[in-house]
Amino acid sequence: MVIECHGLTKEFRTYKKQPGFLGTLKSFFVREQILNRAVDHFDLLLEPGALVGLLGPNGAGKTTLMKMLTGIIVPSSGKMKVLGFTPSERKLQFRRKIALVMGQKNQLWWDIPAMDSFLLLQKYYEIADGDFKKRVGFLSEMLDVEKVLHIHVRKLSLGERMKLELMASLLHEPEVIFLDEPTIGLDLVAQKNIRDFLRVYQEERQTTILLTSHYMADVEALCSRIVLILGGKKRFDDSITKFSQILGREKFVTFTFERGVDQTSEIWKSHDPKWKFEGRQVELRIPEERLRELSATILNQYPVVDFHTEKMPIERVMSTLISNPHLL
Amino acid sequence: MSMIAFMAYKVNFFLIIIGPALVFFFIKYNLWSAIYSLKEGIQIQGYDFSEMINYQVWVLIVSLLSQGFFSSQLAEDIRLGRISSYLIYPFQFWQFHLASFLGFQTIQMAVAGFTILILFGSDLVQVPTWEILTSGLVMSFVVGLIWFSFQFLIGLSAFWLEETWVLRVILITVTQFLSGSILPLEFFPLWAKDLLSMTPFPYMTHVPVKIFMGAYEGSLPILVGILLLWLGIISLVCGLMWRSGLKRYSAAGM
Amino acid sequence: MRTVRKYLGVYEHFVMTCFAEAMTYRAHFVLLISMNFLFTLTSIGAVGFIFDHVDHVGPWDRSTFLFFVSFMLVVDHFHMSFFAESFWQFSDDLKRGMVDFILLRPIGGPFIIFFRHIRPGAILSSILSVIFLIHYGMEIGLSPVKWLILPFLVGLSLTLLVSLEILISMSMFWIVESFGINFLRMQFQQLSRWPNFVYQFWIQKIFIFFFPVLLVGSAPVRFLVDFGDWELLSYFVIALPMTWLFIHLFWKLGLRYYESASS
Repeated sequence: MVIECHGLTKEFRTYKKQPGFLGTLKSFFVREQILNRAVDHFDLLLEPGALVGLLGPNGAGKTTLMKMLTGIIVPSSGKMKVLGFTPSERKLQFRRKIALVMGQKNQLWWDIPAMDSFLLLQKYYEIADGDFKKRVGFLSEMLDVEKVLHIHVRKLSLGERMKLELMASLLHEPEVIFLDEPTIGLDLVAQKNIRDFLRVYQEERQTTILLTSHYMADVEALCSRIVLILGGKKRFDDSITKFSQILGREKFVTFTFERGVDQTSEIWKSHDPKWKFEGRQVELRIPEERLRELSATILNQYPVVDFHTEKMPIERVMSTLISNPHLL
Repeated sequence: MSMIAFMAYKVNFFLIIIGPALVFFFIKYNLWSAIYSLKEGIQIQGYDFSEMINYQVWVLIVSLLSQGFFSSQLAEDIRLGRISSYLIYPFQFWQFHLASFLGFQTIQMAVAGFTILILFGSDLVQVPTWEILTSGLVMSFVVGLIWFSFQFLIGLSAFWLEETWVLRVILITVTQFLSGSILPLEFFPLWAKDLLSMTPFPYMTHVPVKIFMGAYEGSLPILVGILLLWLGIISLVCGLMWRSGLKRYSAAGM
Repeated sequence: MRTVRKYLGVYEHFVMTCFAEAMTYRAHFVLLISMNFLFTLTSIGAVGFIFDHVDHVGPWDRSTFLFFVSFMLVVDHFHMSFFAESFWQFSDDLKRGMVDFILLRPIGGPFIIFFRHIRPGAILSSILSVIFLIHYGMEIGLSPVKWLILPFLVGLSLTLLVSLEILISMSMFWIVESFGINFLRMQFQQLSRWPNFVYQFWIQKIFIFFFPVLLVGSAPVRFLVDFGDWELLSYFVIALPMTWLFIHLFWKLGLRYYESASS
């Protein structure tokens, strides 16, 4: 196992402050402590070469978990091993083998070109000159950033910066990579670029990757396994197919018609219809085994100009679970 | 609201604003004790030991009353482009910062008042009359305005400079030395004193301290007039800088 | 040996990047130099003006006292050149959670934190204070041997000053408003800028034995001036490793407490 943790828990202490001046004055003298359990008895096993998506809403504990696994913060209790090391001991050997990419923080130095930061990283990780050149050449070609390596980082676009951030984390060829929202804030094309790169990179090297993202497209394209974390607790850990079926084996199909159709017809009734554009579009929930038969009937009887099944079932599952965790 | 912001940073408030003033006083107290301890009852440039300490105590009070406002937020607003949101608010940019200065000043008054009360209890300082105390306070407030306008000026330089703290340190270093807060201006060579009298520096510490000590001979209204003149000049420069800075800001779309 | 070479290699790179950075911000560069010049001149000036009216302070005359002042100015300038910026950056990095990246690197965390930033402008402006030091050294007639050990003592003072400040900075792990800790640090620096004898008995004891900031300048200079005054210097030799021990302890503790500002 590359990652192995049992009963991992992290508690943070915070203070309450009443609003207004009196509240401020009060907090000057007395502070009410709140114990907040960010990660709660978390178990996780990851095999070598796995690419696993860690999902959860904001504040669910994803980042805290990643920071514990990389040794940045020390867990309150529980056991964990990453590559056979205990992360919180922060052995140099361990730190050489891992990488953490955070979409919301940048490790590259703002006022100098990325290449200068890379050279510094070369020194940190003691990468031989030959290897370093080879890797920079390979990665920058793959990510298509050869032209921006020597431009001051502050002058680059967010997409370019993110690519360089990724590159910075891969120069020492880590065995495990933690990716915390690597595509956040990027436009669609940039998101896709990063995603494609990660897929190819992972297929070639079989690096173990733990990924968090709020974009289900990332998860769907990259991960075969999903771990769901809600309120610090693990709520689901299985294949992505199973995940999409949590809420039942039903398909959501949308039909678009040439003109408004009769909304009162019997055919819609048992399928939870959601109408739009004055009867010119409807979304139906259809049990998997009735999909072919029912679609054929509708196609025959109505002036259908377009129809499609739901593009990303996991997105619906995800948003349903975030607002109704009790369904799980 | 700005008062709340200040209180929220209680540790910082002490460490940044009050701490340095107290340490500065503490060092000077020790230093002058050492200097005066060599000969019993000597006078240096008209100051005997207790007068010197009296002087330094009032330096502490004046600096608590007038100095210390730390408008690094202004520079940060400009650097990080947050200024745009001020441009939408229904008040002027400087009004906002003046308001936070006044909020801050209220707290400083309390701190200074507290310090004065403690010191009156000790024998370090001679208790002044109400009249002297009031004119000293008025003077300190005007000096505070000057400090604020200087700080504002430095903050505005963020339109051109990437970091403004260097300017702030320069201002404080130079003013501390030239305004007589390290040693009374009587200790300066004559030529330096003459030169200084043409600048606003003596008014920023030496003169208010003399007022508090009851040893100032000039008239207060004239003094305030001179200070307001300086204030006007600095504000004018601020206004010009603000306008050209804003042009630069919107042109660059920072 | 390999470790030393690695750290030197990294440091070389720190220096290079800082120079590259400084060159892009020219106005800042020039202002920094002016700031340091003004600081030097006002420090020398203030003490000079005092000695216009008295001829001794404590056991020292004008030249000796100014020798001390310029000794501390040299130490302060080296401090400003090679360390000061890193302390400010550290509080900032903690606030923004950037220490995360430092902790990930396979190299000593404190090294990256406290040796990272160099101010090229300040290196240049140290020259003025060195000139003053040489001038007053000549005025008090330092012997050749003393001239030889002078640079070594400057280095030692700088080491103690920086070590004490790193120790203070460790508290930033616990205090959220870590920015203010830098002001506390500067206050201790202020104390060290005056010779120990200007302070009263108990104050001296506290800042020699409990938190030894007064040793920074007074120990080496008293050793030089009153040759054979080993007392303070021997405290110094004990204080330095003690400080390192505490830094080590607090770093370990601090990491356990570190919560990493969330993004």
